[in-house]
Amino acid sequence: MSYYLATQKEIVDWIRRLAAENRLYFPEKHGAASYRFTRVGPGSDIQFDHYTPTVVPPVKLLVPAREELLHFRTDADGKTEVQPSLDTSFRIIAGVRSCDLKGIFLMDLFFREGVPDAYYLARRENTAIIGYACNTPCDERAFCAAVDSLDHTEGADVYITPVKGGDLLVEVKTKLGEKLTDGVDWKPCEDGAARRIGAVTARPEPFGRTFPAALPEISKIVEKNYESPVWDKHVKRCFSCGTCNLVCPTCYCFDVADDLHLDVASGNRTRSWDGCMLPHFAEVGGGHNFRPEPAARQRHRVNRKFTYLPEKFEHGAACVGCGRCGRQCTSHIDIFDIVTDLIQEGAR
Amino acid sequence: MKPKIAFFDFASCEGCQLAILNCEDILLDILNLVELVEFREALSETAPRYDVAFIEGSIHRDEDIERLRNIRARATYLVALGACACNGNVQARSNFVAPAVNYGEVYGDEARNRVQVDPDHWGLWSHTRVRPLDAVVKVDAYLRGCPVVPQEFLHLVKSLLQGTQPFFPPNAVCVDCKMNENECVLERGLTCMGPVTWGGCNSICVNKGYVCDGCRGTLPHANVEAHIELMREHKIDDRDIRSRYRLFMGAEPIGRGV
Repeated sequence: MSYYLATQKEIVDWIRRLAAENRLYFPEKHGAASYRFTRVGPGSDIQFDHYTPTVVPPVKLLVPAREELLHFRTDADGKTEVQPSLDTSFRIIAGVRSCDLKGIFLMDLFFREGVPDAYYLARRENTAIIGYACNTPCDERAFCAAVDSLDHTEGADVYITPVKGGDLLVEVKTKLGEKLTDGVDWKPCEDGAARRIGAVTARPEPFGRTFPAALPEISKIVEKNYESPVWDKHVKRCFSCGTCNLVCPTCYCFDVADDLHLDVASGNRTRSWDGCMLPHFAEVGGGHNFRPEPAARQRHRVNRKFTYLPEKFEHGAACVGCGRCGRQCTSHIDIFDIVTDLIQEGAR
Repeated sequence: MKPKIAFFDFASCEGCQLAILNCEDILLDILNLVELVEFREALSETAPRYDVAFIEGSIHRDEDIERLRNIRARATYLVALGACACNGNVQARSNFVAPAVNYGEVYGDEARNRVQVDPDHWGLWSHTRVRPLDAVVKVDAYLRGCPVVPQEFLHLVKSLLQGTQPFFPPNAVCVDCKMNENECVLERGLTCMGPVTWGGCNSICVNKGYVCDGCRGTLPHANVEAHIELMREHKIDDRDIRSRYRLFMGAEPIGRGV
């Protein structure tokens, strides 16, 4: 691991150089007030300030909204040939904030567990990540500090922290990171670790929203409140549109479908994003739906983030506090508010 | 034996049939697998039965009802093709205006006054209620939208040819928007019918910078109460909210109730 000090301009030039030779994605302004991880080209606007989390997290570059998994063809003898569609092309995702780094870190765990997901891993193993630290909360919906993702750097090949004096501290964390920074003429930095700590301690406190309870307690509270009026409160405004799932950095559920061609002998198997807030999600053969009511679906979703997945993977909350669900929800139903209500309900 | 396919239309612009003709890459392959027995202006409605009847258009007059029932009786599988057939479409706005007022609006008061006293024209006044197909007969599948989405038409045709049930998830347009990573319309200070509207359209209107007007009809689980509240929070007055619900959904219970 090595540290450098570079100016904003040097970093932007470096990203442009990388983008000229690679497929590189960066959060670019899109629309009135939104950001999107967009492929960087010569005309792209690269700047680190004024960021709010992208509409959809960068994990879309590892699990796209819709993807072809395989192509199949059965010949006249009844023999089926299967051609998997693995994407092993190299890509760089730059400007990834710690909440999204934590999201990708958790997705790595989820997709490696059990039968490893070849499609996710093919992309993940060919992806370089350049992380970027937030020294101030992105907006009033962030609660990354409350779920321990503000200082998450694991998974980044290079991690950049703005430090005192306006320079950027560049931490090269992996072999791939060394390759990305090969030949740069930035100032090597001997006291990088100390400068990083300096930047961390200079942050506002509290950083973003905080829960009125500690994280391990929250797990217990959410689990204990299986029956609670809180589950009925927020869903009064819920459209069951699944936005909270689809914009969540740790929601990985998908649906698989076969698209058979007209010859009835060949076709494609595809998968697309699915979400547990969608009414049809828990419907099974025969038509039974395990969670027909939005309140039951919301309870399930909150439990996934704060009890089920934390218990299974033992890496803390499966919510990274990016605030996307509350920000993107047309009714602004926010998982932070739901959990806060549960804590307060329990305290009563 | 090739399945017998028929197309019919009632009150509509025939844009949905045009949308289907635009599937030119695969249309000829499909036509090799089916027998097209009815098509407007090409054949008379005399086939004894149809395996699949595609019906475009909304139902207005008594004779429409008779004709639709007749088709239904001869069809094994009946598909509502497009917004007119599925949810009444824009013409259902006329349901909220007295026929004589509508007539005067279109043809002028003089013409209205003349036909109003002429018994030969009294049939016109039965033109009082625009209905989707399922207000009259059982519908087996809905191809929604104004116009229909060619991919959904192909999915339906392929499913039927392969003997499986076509499946259109009851998801809001918001799902399509998120998959396309659109900035939410509400973020732009506008309001949108997307949260209560059947998706599957690939959010084409929002992708192009417009909003969702709800042409695909209301979802079975639509939270209309919350949606109206949301519109009010965005300073849309009740008259405009009603108007937005009646643009495409006027013939649905939702549009009638708002």
